[in-house]
Amino acid sequence: MATVTRLYRQQIFRPSYILSRHLAEDTEFRVLNLKTTRSQPVQRKKLKKPDVLPPRSYQMPVDQDWGSVWPGPRSFHPATVPLPIRQGYVDKGAPPGKYGNAELMKIPNFLHLTPPVIKRQCEALKRFCTPWPRGLETDSKCEDHFPVEVASSNYCYSSPSIRDPMARIVTVKVKLSRIPLDEHAKDKFLRLVGDRYNESTDMLTIVTDRCPLRKQNYDYAMYLLTALFHESWRVEAWEKLKSEADMEYYDWKVSASKKSIETLFGKEHTDITHADTYSQTVDALMNEGESEYSVTKYGEAVRQMLQLPQ
Amino acid sequence: MLKMRSTDLIIRRVFSSLTSLRLQPFSTQPAIQERLETFRTTENSPLNHTEDHIGQFYRIPPETKKQLFLYGGLAKSYEIQTKTFTETCFMVRKPAVDIIYCMKTIDYSKPAIRFVMYGKKGNGKTLSLAHILHYALESKFLIVHVPWVGNWMRRCKESSNSEVKEGFIDLNIDAAAWLIHFKNQNAHLLGDPELKVAEDHVWNKRETTPKDAPLTELVEFGINRIKYASRCVVALAEEIKKLSKAGKCKTFVAVDGFNALFYPQTNILTEKKQVVHPSKVTLTEAFLNLTKFDWNNGVAVVIVDEIAIGEKDQISHLPRYLLGKEGFEHMDPFVPILVSEYTPKELKSCMDYYRERKWVQPLPGQDEELTFLSASNPYRLMLLCNPL
Repeated sequence: MATVTRLYRQQIFRPSYILSRHLAEDTEFRVLNLKTTRSQPVQRKKLKKPDVLPPRSYQMPVDQDWGSVWPGPRSFHPATVPLPIRQGYVDKGAPPGKYGNAELMKIPNFLHLTPPVIKRQCEALKRFCTPWPRGLETDSKCEDHFPVEVASSNYCYSSPSIRDPMARIVTVKVKLSRIPLDEHAKDKFLRLVGDRYNESTDMLTIVTDRCPLRKQNYDYAMYLLTALFHESWRVEAWEKLKSEADMEYYDWKVSASKKSIETLFGKEHTDITHADTYSQTVDALMNEGESEYSVTKYGEAVRQMLQLPQ
Repeated sequence: MLKMRSTDLIIRRVFSSLTSLRLQPFSTQPAIQERLETFRTTENSPLNHTEDHIGQFYRIPPETKKQLFLYGGLAKSYEIQTKTFTETCFMVRKPAVDIIYCMKTIDYSKPAIRFVMYGKKGNGKTLSLAHILHYALESKFLIVHVPWVGNWMRRCKESSNSEVKEGFIDLNIDAAAWLIHFKNQNAHLLGDPELKVAEDHVWNKRETTPKDAPLTELVEFGINRIKYASRCVVALAEEIKKLSKAGKCKTFVAVDGFNALFYPQTNILTEKKQVVHPSKVTLTEAFLNLTKFDWNNGVAVVIVDEIAIGEKDQISHLPRYLLGKEGFEHMDPFVPILVSEYTPKELKSCMDYYRERKWVQPLPGQDEELTFLSASNPYRLMLLCNPL
C-alpha cells in the first residue's frame, strides 16, 4: 500500500523529468525508473581550507625581546609560545602536544612575568618609591615596633562588579607576650579568646567579617582587642569561687599534696627541706602527664624529702 | 588435664631422680658449689639479702610458706609450679631489696612511709611483695596483708547493708576470711600479752569486746560472728594503729591490688542493683585508714595493678593513673617502686633454675630466643617454658 502511494506521488511531482528522458532516448524502450538513480553521480564540492600562515614561533629569532611578544596576561597560544610543551593525559602514548590543547589554555600562565620583565618593571617603578624606613631593617625590628599585624585581601578580576565580598574580611594578629597581662589576667584572656590563641606560636588571631565594609570590620577588631584586654584585667566577685576542679593546670600551692606534707611534717612547706624539688616534681607529674620519667623523678624527690636511701 | 599434669609430673620426677643417680658418681663437690653460686643463694633469710643477691633464688621453708601464703598471696600458676618443683623459691629482685633496705633504715618514730609498687602485668609485683612479706615475718612485724583487693570489689562472696552506717555495704564472709588469714599470718605474735584492745567495742546489747582484752579476742570474735566481721576489721585496723603508735608493735601493711579501692565500678550491687562505690564498702575504710601517714611504727607497701580494675580501663600501668586523683591524694607523698621486666642476668638465672629443676631441656640458643619471645616478661617466660 505504501509503495503504491509513493509511486503515485512521484508520478505526480516529477512528470517533466520522466518526459525529458523519454525525449532523449526515444529509440530505446522506456524504462520506469522507480528509484530515480542517476547514471552519473554528481561530484561533491570540496571544502576549501583558507590559507593559514605558519605558526609565528617558527620565525622568532632566538634573541628576541620576549617582554614585547607577550606583554600582558593572556591565555596560552600555541603559535606564539616557541616551546614544545605537552599537557594532558592519554591512556597510551605521550601527552598531547600544544596545538589545539584545551588543557594548556585552561591553566593560568605567568608568561608575561619572566624575570627580565619583572626587573624592567621594577626599575620603572623605582622612581615612585620612597626609601625603606630606617630602624625597620629586620623582621624582628618590625615586630618590635609594630606588634599588631593587620591583614586583608584585595581582589581584582574581570566581572560585572569590581567589588568582592571577601575583601571585607580583616585579620588581626598579635603576639600574646606583647600584651601586658598578669597571671590572672592572662588566664582570663585565654579563656575569653578560646581557640583563637595558638599556643605553639604564642599568636592571637582575630578574624572579623560581620560588617559589610573593611573599615568597619577593622574598627570592630580593634574594639574586640581593647575589650578583651580590659575585661581580662577586671576581677569579678564570682571569680573567687574558682575551685581546684576549675583550674586549667595543677597548682601545687593550693593542692591536697601541699596540705598533706604540711601535716606530715607539722610545719610550713617553706621550712621543709627539699620540699621545693618535691613540689616541682608533683607539678610536672600532674601538668605534663605521667610517664616513667616523671614518676621516677617524683620518687627521687619523695625519698630525698623523707630521708630515705636513694 | 589434671591427670595429665600429674602423670607428667611423675615422669619428670622419675627422670630427674634417674639422671641424678646416674650423674652423681661423676660430679664433684666444688662443681656443685659453683653452680649454686650462680643462680641460687644459700642465704635463705631475707634479713641478709642485699644488692649482691639480686637475680638469685632462695628457698622458703614450707612451714613459713604455709604461715604466710596459706590463704592467698601467691599467684595460682606459681603455686602449681612450686608444687611441681617440690620447693618454693623466690628470686631476689631489685624492688624487694630496695624496700627491705629502706625498711631497715627507716626511723620508725616518724610518720608511716608508704611504698607503691607498680609495673606492667606479669612483671612480678606480687612475688616481690611476697619476698618483702617474708622479710617482715622474719623481722617480727605485725603483718596486715590483703592478698588481692579485687576479690572483694570484683567478685565478693556476699554483700549486705551495714547495720551501723547508713548506706554502707558489708562484705562479711570476705572479711571473716581475711581475719582468718590475718590470724594465721600473725599466729606467733598474737600471743603477746602486750597486744591489748584499747577501747570497748560494743557489737550489740549482749556482746562486747571490753577494753584491755587481748587482740586475739577481737579477731576471734570477728571470725566466729560473721555478721560483725566487717565492723571487726575496721575496729582491728584502728586498734593496730593505736598499738603501733604506743610502740607495742611494728606493723607492716601490704595490700595487693590497692587501686581497686578507688575504682568506681565494682561488681558489688545494692538491693536496688545499683553499683556500689568502693568508698561505700566498710572494708575500704579499714585499709585506707592503715595506709594513711598519721601513725608511726608502721610501713605500708601497696601494689597498684592494672588487673584490679575493669578491662576497658586498663590503659596505663603508672601509679597516678591507676590510683586516680582521689587515690593519689590519699597516698601522696609515696615512694613509687618500679617492678620492671627481667634483666638479662635475672633471665639467665631463672632459666638456669628451670634447667636445674629439669623443667626445661637445655638447648643451644634457648635463652636468647626466649628473651625475645617473652620480651623478658617473667610471667610470659613462665608460660613459654611450661611446654618446653
